[in-house]
Amino acid sequence: MIRQYLSEATPSFAWKNRLGNWRTEIFAGFVGAILVIPQGITFAYLAGLQPEYGLYCAIFVTLFCSILGTSSMMSGPNTAVAILIGTAVLPLAGRGSPVYIDFVFLLCLMVGAIQLLFWLMRGARIFQYLSPAAISGISAGAGFLIIMSSLDSILDLSTFKTTFFYEKIYVIISDARDLVNPYSLFIGLCTIAGGYVGRRFSPRYFIIIAVTAGYLSGLLVAFIWPQPITELEYLGRMPLEWLPFSVPTINMEYLMISTKLIPYAITIAFIGLAQSLVIVRELKMETDQDINLDKEVYAQGIANLLAPFFSSFAGAGSFNRTKANQSLGATTPFSGIASAGFVLVLITFLGPILTYMPMAAMAGTLFIVGADMIKWRDIKHYAKVRAELVIYLATFISIMFFGLATGVVVAVFLSVSVFMLRISQLELTVESSDSGVLLKVKGALFYASLAHLTERFHSHFGKNMTVDLQFTTHIDQSAVDFFIRESKHMAAHGARLTLLINDKQGHFLKKLGASSDIELVAL
Amino acid sequence: MQNMTLIRKLITVVSLITATPVLLMPSVVWAQQGQPTIEQLLQEPFLDDYYSNVVYGYEIITDTQNNASRYVGNSLNCSNCHLQAGTQKEALPLNVAGMYPKWRAKNGKRNGIGLRIRECFLYSMDGIMPPEDAPEVLAISAYVSYLSQGQIMGAEPEGRGVPTLPDTGYDPNPANGRAVYLEQCASCHGVQGEGMVGMPPVWGLNSYNKGAGMNDIREAAGFIWANMPLGNGKSLSHQQALDVSAYLNLQIRPSDPRDSKFLKLLEHLIN
Repeated sequence: MIRQYLSEATPSFAWKNRLGNWRTEIFAGFVGAILVIPQGITFAYLAGLQPEYGLYCAIFVTLFCSILGTSSMMSGPNTAVAILIGTAVLPLAGRGSPVYIDFVFLLCLMVGAIQLLFWLMRGARIFQYLSPAAISGISAGAGFLIIMSSLDSILDLSTFKTTFFYEKIYVIISDARDLVNPYSLFIGLCTIAGGYVGRRFSPRYFIIIAVTAGYLSGLLVAFIWPQPITELEYLGRMPLEWLPFSVPTINMEYLMISTKLIPYAITIAFIGLAQSLVIVRELKMETDQDINLDKEVYAQGIANLLAPFFSSFAGAGSFNRTKANQSLGATTPFSGIASAGFVLVLITFLGPILTYMPMAAMAGTLFIVGADMIKWRDIKHYAKVRAELVIYLATFISIMFFGLATGVVVAVFLSVSVFMLRISQLELTVESSDSGVLLKVKGALFYASLAHLTERFHSHFGKNMTVDLQFTTHIDQSAVDFFIRESKHMAAHGARLTLLINDKQGHFLKKLGASSDIELVAL
Repeated sequence: MQNMTLIRKLITVVSLITATPVLLMPSVVWAQQGQPTIEQLLQEPFLDDYYSNVVYGYEIITDTQNNASRYVGNSLNCSNCHLQAGTQKEALPLNVAGMYPKWRAKNGKRNGIGLRIRECFLYSMDGIMPPEDAPEVLAISAYVSYLSQGQIMGAEPEGRGVPTLPDTGYDPNPANGRAVYLEQCASCHGVQGEGMVGMPPVWGLNSYNKGAGMNDIREAAGFIWANMPLGNGKSLSHQQALDVSAYLNLQIRPSDPRDSKFLKLLEHLIN
């Protein structure tokens, strides 16, 4: 057992032998690096941090995950995780202030520790019970939140806070003349238009086209009007370092306050792992990579635990970058390592150019990312099964109104309930004859599914009963008690109960004991 | 009759003497005991949101290059003009929270302390204007409020801004200013105004731009007369200060972001 843990805890580099075409891997890493830079900056904004933290996240979380992991999954800054960090820490300190950053680091430490705990408890299996509809619902809800928060920057509502989205829309529409900054809106619209037009030509790199369109329109605006008139927000010069070591502050006072962060830490750890494992499982099905799920959980946990020591926040697997990576032919974690290196090189050279990047352009790309997360195809797909549609819509709506953390709880609760409902459903076939009734039971016979069986028993009351248990997968003590009780009851009315069991249900005999009222027939 | 006036005078004097400490007490107590000093705050391991912002603001003022580099376009620090981290009188002290919001002719608006700070970044620091809710702006606001404790709201604090020099009767003479600059200032600020480690450049692309308050001849002259050479303030004559100020005003420096946008953009992209 310990040996297994140890082998999972050390980087295996087993992919070295499969590293056939390293040029492909490096090119995929380069594209990943270009894609992650706008994401890192905007997700840092969502998390309430300065942009460089997002870039450090794109470097170090990606690097650790790829070194320790086994798949070509691209980890790094993640939308849902960033939003949750923001909602968790904003009530405790002012956005981006030193205390805020301390709390974010503390939260990320907790997230990493919880994910490592998941790894120790072999938690990767838990995520199989989260229904795909719930994950799509969470992703769509996060997309909605992203669109709403991107409006802040597109319309330049920097100090404008509302609780509910409809309130925000109402105030924006009714006070548009005072609130909306037309310059900012122009840049945002240019970015979004650039993105949607660019997608026609290059479905893979359209985000970069959008950012470029936004940047150029920002330069145009800055050329015509000075900043005191436009009041545009710019990204500003980023104080970037190659090795941004930092030590998270931990003291008694922080720990006392950070108890409020624990529920969020659990949610973030859960959401991060759920997304990463969905990606990894898809990769495992679609490619022939030698993937170890537990090892991926460990890689995520360690990456998030180490993130605060490198000035970055927690991350998770990224759907769109992994897809781009896969479509470029990357099959090993080497592409992730290359991507981290390229981000470091690119931001060193792009830093001065990015200074004049308008925040509205960044928000425009966020808008596109958010709109992409709400997929009409998903809704049509899940509409076929009623239970899945209910999970999808309930998750989406509760995220819209109550925030991401509540939405995740609703999603988990609903998936588990649907799962429970499904396995507590018994498949019963009844054959009546003169001598009595034959009842064939398929499914698991336990406390939750007994009610179903009881109904059938009572509707044929007074007749001799034969219950065929050959195809029953599981029988628990309450089912045994039920049979003993019913048989006594029937015997009192002159009827007899016969149970047909297979040879694997020998323990069932022991539990049943010597009940004279039941006739057992082993098949 | 004479006795009565004597007694009346005595009573007035005695009551004044006893009342003076009482009248002065509150402001003295508030300024000295009501809040911890910056040194104490720096020692403290845990600070609440307000005081951590105060410390962050203090760090920005004293080391702007490292703590607020995002919005800074030159190589100055706030404390190059706001001497002693904004606590020295007649050197643009920062204890002015009680003066804001107020109308300023510079932008023709009522300015809150936030806008005032943001404009400092735009002009004096030759950078870009931070958003209203930028952590840097909030931290400096907190530091300004911290320094202003004990001031009377709305009243002008003693030694605010820089002294206004009286009319000397002569026009400022940049040629004479050059001579004074080379004699008195160049040892620290450099012959080309490029500055040195710990000493700010006073012209060139790494200095404040043409929209800054320091580019105003009277304002700069007041500052130079009261504080320069550093540690030996008020040693120049009024006329010498005006001359140096006029000389500085003629030098090359970044353009005013309000009127030459293209140049400004080019400067920023090059720099």
